[in-house]
Amino acid sequence: MRRNHRSDNRGTDVGDTASAATAPAHTPALSFADTRFAYGERTIVDGVCFDVAPGELVALVGMNGCGKSTLLKLAAGLLRPASGNVWLQGKAITRLSRREAARRVALLHQSSPPVPGLTVRHLVRQGRYATRGPFGMLRDGDDEICLRAMADAGVTHWADHPVDALSGGERQRVRLALVLAQDTPVLLLDEPTTYLDLRHQLEVLELVATLRRDRKLTVVMVLHDLGHAARYAERIIALRAGRVVADGPPGDIVTPALLRDVFAVAGRVGLDPQRGWPICYPDSPLDDTPAQDATPATNTTDHRAQAPEPRP
Amino acid sequence: MNAGWASRRARVTVLVALLAAAIAVGAAGLFAGRMVAPHEVWAVVTGANDDPLAHHVVMRLRMPRTLVALTAGACLGTAGLLLQASLRNPLAGPEVTGVAPGAVLGAVAASGAGLASWSSPGSVAAAACAGGFLGAGLLWLLTGGRRTDPLMTAVYGVLVSALLSGLTAVVLVAAPGELGSVVQWLVGSTEGRVWEHWHMLGPWALAWGAAAFACAGALGVLRSGDEHAAAVGLAPARTRAYALVCAVALTAGAVAAVGALGFVGLLAPHVATALLGADLRAALPGAALVGAVIVGGSDSAAQALSPPLAELFGSDRFLLPTGAITTGVGALVLLAVARRYAPNEDQ
Repeated sequence: MRRNHRSDNRGTDVGDTASAATAPAHTPALSFADTRFAYGERTIVDGVCFDVAPGELVALVGMNGCGKSTLLKLAAGLLRPASGNVWLQGKAITRLSRREAARRVALLHQSSPPVPGLTVRHLVRQGRYATRGPFGMLRDGDDEICLRAMADAGVTHWADHPVDALSGGERQRVRLALVLAQDTPVLLLDEPTTYLDLRHQLEVLELVATLRRDRKLTVVMVLHDLGHAARYAERIIALRAGRVVADGPPGDIVTPALLRDVFAVAGRVGLDPQRGWPICYPDSPLDDTPAQDATPATNTTDHRAQAPEPRP
Repeated sequence: MNAGWASRRARVTVLVALLAAAIAVGAAGLFAGRMVAPHEVWAVVTGANDDPLAHHVVMRLRMPRTLVALTAGACLGTAGLLLQASLRNPLAGPEVTGVAPGAVLGAVAASGAGLASWSSPGSVAAAACAGGFLGAGLLWLLTGGRRTDPLMTAVYGVLVSALLSGLTAVVLVAAPGELGSVVQWLVGSTEGRVWEHWHMLGPWALAWGAAAFACAGALGVLRSGDEHAAAVGLAPARTRAYALVCAVALTAGAVAAVGALGFVGLLAPHVATALLGADLRAALPGAALVGAVIVGGSDSAAQALSPPLAELFGSDRFLLPTGAITTGVGALVLLAVARRYAPNEDQ
């Protein structure tokens, strides 16, 4: 960390402000500073800039391949940005060691199949690696954070079952326990509701919302269901072709224009008659031509007036 | 916690049973053979027998041979599990990743060039190490960006192994004078191993075995996937490189001492994980003990079977190589393992 100041010449003013120790109260939990990433010729993340304040719950939405998952991997330090940088609580992630990064941010990702015979207890314990280190992993026994993580995710009663004997939904909750075991201030969740039925989807999202409130966590999650995003997130960031095309509270962002510009779907948006959050009525897929110069729906609030308001 | 504690006790029980089995096959190795009768062996070991011939046979011939066999097996078993875990490939083993064939090539080439010989186990070990790294390095280069694909690693591993075995054959043809002693490395034999070999292999195995066990926790994390490992704070490439270095060193030590004993490194990890589960802190020592039991048992069997076979073939100099037994038995057990894993592949 000693070299932090000198080496940050690529950081924008966002990063420079963030690295200044004088203003810790305003330091974003996570911030992208003109971050770019490409696999060879293919640009995946194309100059993304946004800050996530401590304690915020943000949903990332967008079509398949729009760069949502890549953005989370960049934020977790698993990928190195081609240019620009990612800042975790004021520290450039490229300057953090793997273990330092894993103590600040945990990522629930679409992981590889589990090792045959590995028990839930052992997998969750691996979440403590960043704290315990390679030799600490040789010691037996769970610390209380492991036990709490398993209890929070509701997997305690499977603790000694092999992970590969569990169903897809159960495994997803084990992965959530693993992420919670890292005990980080920032949680990145890549489609936490995959493989889950409706009840378990709600259960996981409620759990995330509760933990975030009780432990003052910062949560960024990729969600495919715009309804879930509108209901649980206080801020939605929509991506298209690696760029941020809309960013704001669900009530402002979720509009027919968003459906059209971000998801290439013709549809209507109404409001939940009792709770007031936006509800989407997708009608039909639109011709999806990946035009680079499509005008992004940056200012979408006006479109709401055109939306037919369904009456209950 | 209770269930976890109980399963830990079960694992300790299995490890103790394996240790007892290793001691038992070691004892069988001491007692097997026609020169000295079993009760005389016991007398020599307890110091009650002063007969110089019996003492020579037991303490100078059988004891080092047995120790070398047990330790070499432990090395191969540990190396096999290190390879299977770090490459995330149930088909990995020293024999099929180019490591063991590379070590054989190193030992054979150094002997052919006159740089090492049967009587200087240290230099053979160094040459085997260099060869082992050559084999692993070749595989590393060939698999390129698809290193995490188990199938590609397996295919290229077989290719590299075939290439290195071919090169070994070339060296053998080019330097036929050394053929007699060198050919033992190809099949793997514990015949004629003396204290000199043990003095090389024992400390080597202990040091690298300890180094391997030190990474058991980290390797367990890596085994669940590179992305998973990186996300929880581990540097995958560094841990994998560390495990591979340990695997190559352990294989090279075993090859330098007893040659390429087939199937031990491939088989022992499967037996160990079937008995002890996926936790590498138990499975690594388990694989070492299973390897020791396999090679020690094969060595005893070779000693016991050689005289009747020699009579059968009418040749009094016939000696059944230990490697022939491990390969034969190993192939059969591997078939059983393949059948056990087969239904899971369909899911």
